Amino acid sequence: MTHRIKTDRRTLLKGAAAGGLLAATPLAHRFASAQSSAPIRIGFQQHSTGIGAAYGRWYGRTTEAAVKMINEAGGINGRPVEIIAEDDGTDPKRGAEVVEKFANQHNCDVAFGTLFSHVVYGSAPAAGEQKIPYFVVSEGHHVASGALNRYTLQPGITDVKSQVQAMAPYVAENLGKKITMIFPDFAFGHDHRDYFTAAIEAQGGEVLEHIAIPPTETSFTKYFPKIPRDTEVVYHVMVGPAVLTFVKELGEFFGPSRPELFGFIDSLEAVDLASPGLEFLEGTYFWEGNPRYAQADQSSHDKLFREKVGVDANGASVSDPKDVSTYAHMFGCWETLHIIKAGMEAAGYQGPDDRAKLIEAVEAMTDMPESDAHPQGPKRFNGKTHQVFGVQYISRVEEGRLNKVHTTSIEDTLYPDEVDYTTMSF
Amino acid sequence: MTAALPRIAALLALCLPRTAAAHVSEQGFVLLLPTGAYTIAGVSAVALTVMALFAVTGEGVRTLFAHRPLATRPCARARMVTSLAATGLLAALLWLGLAGPRDPLSNLLPLAFWCFGWMLLVSLSGLLGHLWQWLNPWSGLHRLLGAPKPRLTLPEGWGLWPATLLLLAFAAFLLADIAPDDPARLARILGLYWLATLAGLLLCGPAWLRQVELGHAVIGSLARLAPLRLRGAAGLGGPGWQVVSRPALPAAGLFALTLLAVGSFDGLNETFWWLGLIGVNPLEFPGRSAVVPQTLAGLLATTLMLWALFALTVWAGLRISRSPVAFALAFGRLALCTLPIALVYHMAHYLTSFLVSAQYLLAALNDPLKSGADLLGLAPFRVTTGFFNSIASVRVIWFTQAGLVVLGHLWSILLSHRIALDLFGSNLRASFATLPLSLFMIAYTFLGLWLLAAPKGA
Repeated sequence: MTHRIKTDRRTLLKGAAAGGLLAATPLAHRFASAQSSAPIRIGFQQHSTGIGAAYGRWYGRTTEAAVKMINEAGGINGRPVEIIAEDDGTDPKRGAEVVEKFANQHNCDVAFGTLFSHVVYGSAPAAGEQKIPYFVVSEGHHVASGALNRYTLQPGITDVKSQVQAMAPYVAENLGKKITMIFPDFAFGHDHRDYFTAAIEAQGGEVLEHIAIPPTETSFTKYFPKIPRDTEVVYHVMVGPAVLTFVKELGEFFGPSRPELFGFIDSLEAVDLASPGLEFLEGTYFWEGNPRYAQADQSSHDKLFREKVGVDANGASVSDPKDVSTYAHMFGCWETLHIIKAGMEAAGYQGPDDRAKLIEAVEAMTDMPESDAHPQGPKRFNGKTHQVFGVQYISRVEEGRLNKVHTTSIEDTLYPDEVDYTTMSF
Repeated sequence: MTAALPRIAALLALCLPRTAAAHVSEQGFVLLLPTGAYTIAGVSAVALTVMALFAVTGEGVRTLFAHRPLATRPCARARMVTSLAATGLLAALLWLGLAGPRDPLSNLLPLAFWCFGWMLLVSLSGLLGHLWQWLNPWSGLHRLLGAPKPRLTLPEGWGLWPATLLLLAFAAFLLADIAPDDPARLARILGLYWLATLAGLLLCGPAWLRQVELGHAVIGSLARLAPLRLRGAAGLGGPGWQVVSRPALPAAGLFALTLLAVGSFDGLNETFWWLGLIGVNPLEFPGRSAVVPQTLAGLLATTLMLWALFALTVWAGLRISRSPVAFALAFGRLALCTLPIALVYHMAHYLTSFLVSAQYLLAALNDPLKSGADLLGLAPFRVTTGFFNSIASVRVIWFTQAGLVVLGHLWSILLSHRIALDLFGSNLRASFATLPLSLFMIAYTFLGLWLLAAPKGA
């Protein structure tokens, strides 16, 4: 089946008739075969514009590639997948509007794709009100914290709490037990502060100093003297335009004798590691959601993923080696779409009347092996918290590339449930 | 460098990408460049020019803006054809806006309007002239309908006031609206605007286009900077000669200042400084919907403050030189000298996002319905932002932007001096009368370059 992404008026109306009206009547089952060629419509809430635009672009590329592959293999239950992409401007209010459009105007079966947490918070209530399954690809702890609703799930990407927690064993064992944390003084940084401090203490380590940097800061040298002398590891998660300045100034401060450095690739997602100012990162460590550079033990699944999305062995676009992708996150779209497929097939999904069945089918999922559908690694879905757990990677910067040095277990990443969405009604 | 300046850094700033957000690495590299040194160099160039003008005679500046009259070519028929074609194109684009892909980066309507129209066409008009007279979707139709006699007369005394108010409304849409790119929304708004303008044109005649229609006002104002003029009183001369020699409508000066204010605030409202002022975390921008009143207030404040500040410099200059020239006349004429600054700010501001949007435009031309088509043979077309990922290319981009800013200010200084020669007579009197204005422009250059270098969060 050839891949098509059609969003013209005619298709919209055809889809509306086929998907909506017929499914509502008691004759739905009789017309099942007539419907069976009508496309499955997936609303893709994309950060095309706004501060998330770089991610939006790569999420779009990955989504198109995944849908193409799914359709070439016969679609979902023999029905082709159609993506309706709408821009939410990385804005929560616009996101809510977009979700409503997916449900009411575009007659989508499900919605998916949101990354930025504040947009998820703003949009998820709309998904609950419209009773449309909403698969976010966000990394935020919002889903598993219980703050959202039964219609919102995050089955394709792990959350920051599990990521941060999983770093502690390796850091304590290999880098050091005396940590100084440097983080921006707002929610994102606070999450790292709270999760990592608890996790490293559980490993017998201790955080000597928490250095919270005001988000407006663009020069950091004055903060470095606060780093205690006996620090073994500096844990840094700076983000924003001043990141390169931060690394450069850190290098100038420490010179050749520095403690171990551990960071998160979020700081440098889509940034070329060979950039000037980043030389100081040589020999330092990073969490990677998905190793940007193809490793020596690269799986066939990662190879396929790169080929389909159009990304080279350095994680950059095949048509421009300088155009580095958001490799640590975009796999989430690929895996989420495959979950939607698996869920719809397990539920025998026919149309919007079966949305609750779809959610229940996904909630019933547990362990998923690494595969073409899950190229980032094996997964374990928690149906109660609607959050998936997976392996996390630690890499070391060596000669301008990131080489994987450790893969955590899924167990390393688990934390006690904070919610049970399955007890909530639809 | 960044410490005390935010307080001084008033409202007149450099514009920044709106559609595709600036890449983190690009901004990161800009913060690594020695922008302080570059800024000092740029400001010095402008300051030296101001000083030099005291010393030179008026003849040099007069020659710079001299022009040679040309035979006016009546291209009315050709313009009618192109305008009708533009009308047809608009209809097709509006249809695409309503029926085509929902993603604004795949839909030709928002791409044509914002990228091709607002970014490119407006920028080119300062160099090539009044392109809108050829490409507007009304005048050809009007002529085809026999150019019916107007029923109402638009008071000429209103000048460009209606357009000025429309410009502020447009700026509000551009800066504060949460989805100005949305294809269906944009189609409805543009469709209504087209109908309203046609109605105005039929009711009030061509004066409506001159005084009210925003495209004519913006492009027409900037087109006066072009060296070549083909319509009535055609001529070829130093860029800006039309501002010197052609009469301007009432309120044209205020319109120019408003254009500058809009562009300035467009840049300012993304900086860490502005975000700090309105209490927004620059690393966690909450989305446009969270800052609508602040954005509107900032836009209005910037405009009013620029009007007031400019008026102050003109008034101060008149006092210093003890000139008998009427304030209104001096203000109206001198305000036009900010047009080159408005032009270069527009170009510099949108350069980075144009580099990305233009690629999306090409991709959409290749596949307008996102159906897998390959009309121009460009597939597979992958939009890239790789040029933001290398300090070498970022440096080139930054220098281009900074160079435009400096050149624009130099141009403005010379233009204001030329205008002042007409107003005040002698070279020395002109220099003194425009001294406050020149100081204002030196400071403005500084702020413009500082803003190019300032960290942005939105």
